[in-house]
Amino acid sequence: MSLKPYVRIILFFLLGFIIYLADITMNYDEESKDIFISDQELDGLFAAWNSQVGRPPNEQEALNIVNDFIEEEILYREALRLGLDQNDRIIKRRLAQKISFLKQETDREEPSSKKLTDFFGKNRDKYYVPATFSFTHYYFSKSSEAKNKAKSGLSEIIELGAPSTSEPFFLGKNFSEYSLGEIEQAFGPELLVAFKNPNLNTWIGPFSSSYGEHLLFINNQSLGYSPEFSEIEDLVKQDYMLQEQDKKLNDYLDSVKAEYRVIINPTYEF
Amino acid sequence: MKTRIALIIAGVSALFVIVAVCYYALMQFAEEKYSIVLKDSSLEIVDFAIEDKEEITNDVPPNPLKNPYFGDLHVHTRYSFDAYVFGVNATPYDAYRYAKGEMIKHPLGYEMQLKEPLDFYAVTDHGIYMGMIQEYGDPNSPQAGYEWAIPFQNINREENRTLESMGERLNLFSLMAGDGYLERPYPVWHPKMWQAIFTKNRQLASKAFDYGVHKSAWADIANAAEENNEPGKFTTFIGYEFTAGTEVEGGNLHRNVIFESSKAPIRPWSREDSLNPMDLWAWMDKLRTKGLDSIAIPHNSNGSNGEMFEVETYYGTPIDLTYSETRMRNEPIVEITQVKGTSDTHPLLSPDDDWADFEIMDGRVGARPPTYSYPAGGYVRDAYLRGLMLDWKGQGNPYKFGLIGSTDTHLGAGSFDESNFWSKVGVVDGSPMSRGSIPLTEKRLEQLKEYSEEYNQPVSAVEVDGNSYAIGFDQWGASGLAAVWAEENTRESIFSALRRKEAFATTGPRVSVRFFAGFDLASIDVNAESLVERAYDKGVPMGADLFADGDKVPEFLVWAQKDKHSASLQRIQIIKGSITNSGARPSERVFDVVCSDGLEVDPSTHRCPDNGARVNIEDCSITDNVGATELKATWRDPDFNPKDKAFYYVRVLENPTCRWSTWDALKAGVKPRSDMHKTIQERAWSSPIWYIPVPEDIDIFAL
Repeated sequence: MSLKPYVRIILFFLLGFIIYLADITMNYDEESKDIFISDQELDGLFAAWNSQVGRPPNEQEALNIVNDFIEEEILYREALRLGLDQNDRIIKRRLAQKISFLKQETDREEPSSKKLTDFFGKNRDKYYVPATFSFTHYYFSKSSEAKNKAKSGLSEIIELGAPSTSEPFFLGKNFSEYSLGEIEQAFGPELLVAFKNPNLNTWIGPFSSSYGEHLLFINNQSLGYSPEFSEIEDLVKQDYMLQEQDKKLNDYLDSVKAEYRVIINPTYEF
Repeated sequence: MKTRIALIIAGVSALFVIVAVCYYALMQFAEEKYSIVLKDSSLEIVDFAIEDKEEITNDVPPNPLKNPYFGDLHVHTRYSFDAYVFGVNATPYDAYRYAKGEMIKHPLGYEMQLKEPLDFYAVTDHGIYMGMIQEYGDPNSPQAGYEWAIPFQNINREENRTLESMGERLNLFSLMAGDGYLERPYPVWHPKMWQAIFTKNRQLASKAFDYGVHKSAWADIANAAEENNEPGKFTTFIGYEFTAGTEVEGGNLHRNVIFESSKAPIRPWSREDSLNPMDLWAWMDKLRTKGLDSIAIPHNSNGSNGEMFEVETYYGTPIDLTYSETRMRNEPIVEITQVKGTSDTHPLLSPDDDWADFEIMDGRVGARPPTYSYPAGGYVRDAYLRGLMLDWKGQGNPYKFGLIGSTDTHLGAGSFDESNFWSKVGVVDGSPMSRGSIPLTEKRLEQLKEYSEEYNQPVSAVEVDGNSYAIGFDQWGASGLAAVWAEENTRESIFSALRRKEAFATTGPRVSVRFFAGFDLASIDVNAESLVERAYDKGVPMGADLFADGDKVPEFLVWAQKDKHSASLQRIQIIKGSITNSGARPSERVFDVVCSDGLEVDPSTHRCPDNGARVNIEDCSITDNVGATELKATWRDPDFNPKDKAFYYVRVLENPTCRWSTWDALKAGVKPRSDMHKTIQERAWSSPIWYIPVPEDIDIFAL
């Protein structure tokens, strides 16, 4: 069987092309491609999963976790190989962030109690706990009669247990742990006088609000106070450490800045 | 002959093998080199919760009788293309600081601060090209060199944020709002093009788009929401605006999408994906099957040229039950009022409603030159009536939504107060002269004319009383607030209040309103402490359905409280809309149900007498000691037909006060414009309660 010459040539090229394609897909890259996953890494992966889901992964889930990890690693390496990390502002930023964290973390010694108390002394205002009040009330809507109604209401409470002419208040009857700010928002600034050194656990009033008159029964008040250092030592420590971390990063930046020479076009027009 | 056939067969099989291998090779190559994988990128869900955020324990006990919470679910920041173009530098973090009561600055330099902090807030930047424009504006960004970015370069540098830049900024806005400017497609063979097709992400096909920047802007918005969410104290939502419209008529179909939790898709689904809200709902439905609930809130139906509440679908096909259900599942709430006007009703639609002419914005949203928007199909009351009619015809009711207000501020900071108004889009409307409340100076008028000529636009100024005023922003106003009745101030509680439509809207002041319907409410003593408890017991709250109980006449309970910083209440009205059972003939009526100052409603006209409240235009002072701090009443519908489908909603009116334009003029020492309303009556609307008659089997034949 003899073929015409041009057919042979075409077949030859076709075969060549097939071999070429097979080659580039199958032997795409020959460099070493081992991914080694240590036991610690596996433990870490499963622990992270556990902390999010609340139970250890089952076999299938574990397989998926490892697969995801492998895929991520592969994508990462391939991206590096293609040089996708170069000139990428997000990656630059991320690395800058990483070194800032690193610099903030290093040398994490326990602060001395002297330093902490000094820090606390300087920032006392920040730790102020505002006063809150829990109270119930009777309401008499705004009218020329309201004050008198409320006054007789007070004596009715003592005699009958409840006033006969009170009305429901739009925002309800009982208010628990309201700060002065919240009271002002709900009733208007006028009512705040009632919460200045109030008599607790007794009916007092009448007091005016933006909406009318009120008889109040304040059953609980936690006064605003600056907590003692010992009460909030942990919080202070946390804040102190945060501040120290920032300081460390700045110190580090200052120290290495000196080694750099910055060149900017002097004729650049702003 | 035989060899020939063998040859052909060999040739064909070889060709087949080649094609198969080529395809395989190409896919391998595409996946390896450009990570082109077949998947829908808009359905990838991310949890934006902040991992080591200090847990705030919510120790405030929930109130089963519910508290009113006030907020704003429509706020833009610098990540919105138009906000950035209009000079806004506020970040989502700034927006949340403002909502919590802190001061932030207007792009023109002045201070903006709330009188009282809000309870909830959601930053909802435009999904389209979210985050990209500030990349164009930043001369150091990778986008900076491209031709499409050049006009944006440095526009928001301090020295460039001037009133004079207004014309140029408006033009940039129009450039971008018009489709095409940002579409700089890659050639077909480009891998980005294929990535766009394979991951169903059309934006990727444009050279002017950077997916990394887009995603990180969205993640930053979500992160700001997560950081600021404090269960029990302050609630935030992750959300964005789907800014679509009809292609031909230029009708605005904008919606805000609000997600229920810390989870959200990896990118907002925007007008680049589709202009059709039905596609948006399909996407939201898909997310819902993956366990993520969300709602879409339409806004500015007033500027939709009647397209928002059409009686047909986006394709022009008839609305059917599936459409109605899908729409209601995804859109239980509509924004009735905001800076760009109020969409309750229009004087042409409700000629008998004396309060219909209120903050009417009669132009299409974003249109340049300003173009008239036809009212029918663009207003809420009309939509409710259309819904009843569609339901009557067996097509379902796609317009059974509740109401909220919001501002749509583009400054991160809502403007709620007429006496301290800064409008909403920054440099272009941040001063009285640019929003048309005080006359233009010669110089500014000259500038306006120049710009108009340069950009081939009609001059946006009007001659009134011998002075020239800018137009374009004069129909905007200091409105609105979103309010809900929720057990506690948490995401779950507020989101479900929105879902069940136990929500109301105000034009800025914190007027709150309760609304119940039932068949035995008149027996409740409105002065008893147990009022609310018994109302919940015996009736249904706003947003709910009231099912017929034989021929019984429904009774309603309304209760409203004034904002302590705003004017007193003048009256409460109930607005009723119904269609006849015999022929779906619509009618609407406004009933005054309780008046201030002990005045009685006239039983024949159903109107309150004048309570004597007046405004002194010279200094904007109002009559003292008139009006009520609270109003409450039970009410029976006097012309009730148990067979007719109906809806009822409440409108609470304050005594009149000065409009922002009058305040602006007063502060500038000039006369207010004679062609504008000098005063307004701030108001609140409840979500409706629908009366559902006993179903009757009528055969309806269309001609």
